[in-house]
Amino acid sequence: MAELLEVSGITKRFGGLVAVNDISFSVREKEILSVIGPNGAGKSTLFKLISSFLRPTSGEVRLKGERISGLAPHIAARKGVVRTFQETTIFKNMSVRDNVIIAHHLRSKAGLLGFFLGTGAARADEAAFGQSADDILALLGLSPLAGETARNLPHGHLRALGIAIGLATNPSILLLDEPFAGMNHEETMRMVEMVRRLRERGLTILLVEHDMPAVMKISDRLVVLNFGQKIAEGTPSEIQANEKVIEAYLGSEDEAIGL
Amino acid sequence: MEQVIANGLYLGAQYALIALGLTLIFALMNVLNFAHGQMYVLGGFITYTVYGQLGLPFVVALLASGVTLAVIGALMEKFLFRTVIRRSHREESTMLLAAATAFFFDAVILLIFGEKQRGVPKIVKGVFNDAGIIMPYDRMVVGVLAIVFIAAFVLYMQYSRVGRAMRALAQDRVAAQLMGVRVDRYSMIGFAMGAMLAGVVGGLLVTITGVNSGIGGPISIKAFLMVMIGGAGVVGGAIAGGFILGMMESVGLTVLREYGDVTYLVIFAALMVFLSIRPNGLMGKPWG
Amino acid sequence: MTRNRNMKIAAVVAFLTVVFIAVPTAISSSGRFDLYYTLTSVALLSIASAGVWLTFYIGRINIGQGAYALMGGYVSAILVMNHGWSFWPTLPVAGLFCAAASVLIGLPILRLRGVYFAMVTLVLTEVARLLALALPITNGAKGIVSIPLPGALTVFGVPLIPDFATLQNSRLAFYLLAATVMVICFVVMYRLVNSRIGKLCQSLQQNEELASSIGVNIAYLRVIAYAVSSFFGGVSGAIFAAISQSIYPSSFTVTDSVNFMLNCFLGGLGYVFGPMLGTLVLYFGWDLLFQTGQFQLLIYSGLMIVLMLVLPNGLLSLSEMTRKKG
Repeated sequence: MAELLEVSGITKRFGGLVAVNDISFSVREKEILSVIGPNGAGKSTLFKLISSFLRPTSGEVRLKGERISGLAPHIAARKGVVRTFQETTIFKNMSVRDNVIIAHHLRSKAGLLGFFLGTGAARADEAAFGQSADDILALLGLSPLAGETARNLPHGHLRALGIAIGLATNPSILLLDEPFAGMNHEETMRMVEMVRRLRERGLTILLVEHDMPAVMKISDRLVVLNFGQKIAEGTPSEIQANEKVIEAYLGSEDEAIGL
Repeated sequence: MEQVIANGLYLGAQYALIALGLTLIFALMNVLNFAHGQMYVLGGFITYTVYGQLGLPFVVALLASGVTLAVIGALMEKFLFRTVIRRSHREESTMLLAAATAFFFDAVILLIFGEKQRGVPKIVKGVFNDAGIIMPYDRMVVGVLAIVFIAAFVLYMQYSRVGRAMRALAQDRVAAQLMGVRVDRYSMIGFAMGAMLAGVVGGLLVTITGVNSGIGGPISIKAFLMVMIGGAGVVGGAIAGGFILGMMESVGLTVLREYGDVTYLVIFAALMVFLSIRPNGLMGKPWG
Repeated sequence: MTRNRNMKIAAVVAFLTVVFIAVPTAISSSGRFDLYYTLTSVALLSIASAGVWLTFYIGRINIGQGAYALMGGYVSAILVMNHGWSFWPTLPVAGLFCAAASVLIGLPILRLRGVYFAMVTLVLTEVARLLALALPITNGAKGIVSIPLPGALTVFGVPLIPDFATLQNSRLAFYLLAATVMVICFVVMYRLVNSRIGKLCQSLQQNEELASSIGVNIAYLRVIAYAVSSFFGGVSGAIFAAISQSIYPSSFTVTDSVNFMLNCFLGGLGYVFGPMLGTLVLYFGWDLLFQTGQFQLLIYSGLMIVLMLVLPNGLLSLSEMTRKKG
């Protein structure tokens, strides 16, 4: 499989603190790769670096050979690297369907002026976005809630809406920020299913996660961080047998590796 | 030079006290209190009435200013801001409310106290003149009192139970609520304290600059400036902002005296440049 | 759908009839020509307020519109007085000048959010006033006075607008001018808000991080919205200068900036026509209360507080409440 996203030697310092230290790995096309690690291992920093929400101190991220690190987030998104957010980052006061429609922004052929004047291209865009939004909502099981104002959604559906928004941008790679956080078993299983369905549609997925059982179930490969360093990389079974990983997780009390 | 610094410190102390009240209200409720300057004016007029007209001791007058404003602040929070915050879709709506209350106070002050400039007898006579510094004693007393009040406020916020609860509230409203902090109660206390501070400074300064009904707006703008420089919602920021503005004014008025209002133009322009580099001021919390 | 559309067309026709036919007829038959001045002011202030509303729409509290109104007034006045321009071309030029200035100012300050942006724009109004006092070209506190009335406008030899100075009733002419500009302004606003651009603006208002994650160039969009907003401010200021035939540093102050903001709040931040209604109610309310003499401000602000408590989402939210009940 070809390599889609390449992280090479990426480092981020905050003042004197090294949050992410010289990490390299790559994501292959159509795989699900998870980045895991104990609390404070640098997962979210790495996540923000890859999605261009932070600039690296050194090192770089490449998508299909093209450097994307250090670009503005909206340009990274245009190139095809799109992130979702933890928790409830949605457009609260819009309907669920409008949330997804607006997220088609990158696909629009008409410019701002075109939309203002209501040109043919703009109207064609609008129609296409509506259609595509309905497809995405159906895929993620949100169709019955399409007309609901987003802030009224129950918690589990909020996360699905976040993914729907990401999906609408038509990304090459979708970055999921702790998609299972705070979910009970049933919700987690539903989310696992959802992520698998995305991959079946040909999407590459990188996720940062806490919930070990779910990650083990879903991932093709894993990258393990501890104290800002990469300590292991491999398939779920390799990782479960890796001594460094076990040590890292035993070292912190409230984590379970889910064996 | 020494004179400029002394003036700056004197101005800074009173400014910091004004900014503290504003920033406290902002930190607790995310309300930008447009009426802060009017509260200051009201405090000034109360001290004018009690000390200047009725002839009671200055301390009593200052106390009356503080207590009256605290009561007004508490009532404003309970009956106005709480309701609007609960019912409005957008938290900016409190700005309209704050602006309306500012107008309302302006009207009330104008009706009760008229539009004349009012002054009171000096609280201390004589002028200090040594080491290249000339400063009337009453200014020194007011400056020192302001610093004492600032210190008392900081200690109170740091060590008292109420202060700790308010700090928790300012940091994270939801978390504080979960921890069992009574949000409504402490919002009210905070609003009352912020208003009280404005009233006390008004009472202090009426002895020096006097007071008139038109200065509420300009005082509010100055208070906004200080809070912006230091960073909104942070006690240390308000104090720093107050002293910085005091110093800038003192220096500016000396250096740019012949150009008149240019001092403020320079201060404002500098502030805009500063804020575009440091969007949250010196130590402010990010907003929104 | 078509019924809805018909309703809309009927509403627009009714509105235009009232503004351009009913009001002038009523005024000329009643002889209350002073009302022209009031209504002209309402129209102009609502244009400036519409600009403020647009910045609200992208999630920024703008208390700096007075600065652009002042700037627009001075640009027009200076072009007419010092460079011999006719008033008409100065109108778009004043708007564009303000838009350009707002891009330069907006690029850094639009990064600020919440109260920080609000306070910086408030300071901006003061800066504009102080600049007008200090700069040689604006003639300091004396301002620019005796600006001639707008002359005739002819395009390709076709006279479109007569010379205002030759008119018997220049008040009516100014009213029609202001009303026309207002109608154009709100048509533009309506299109903006009801096209995809409106949705994009809303996405900024609700969550800038998420907006940029889906590829929205938030910095660009913010500046565009702010520039349009300032354009409106400049145009309104320019017409004001022409009507009063003068402009001073104190023509637009912090109070005006705050009032523009209040107009938006009062009408309702969620409604395009909110600023128009808000301006009308506030301006007329203030005028009507004139008879109460010294209690004018007290009653006015008291009513405003009560309104805020009863309708914290603006006057136009009334329609929503009745719809819900029905």
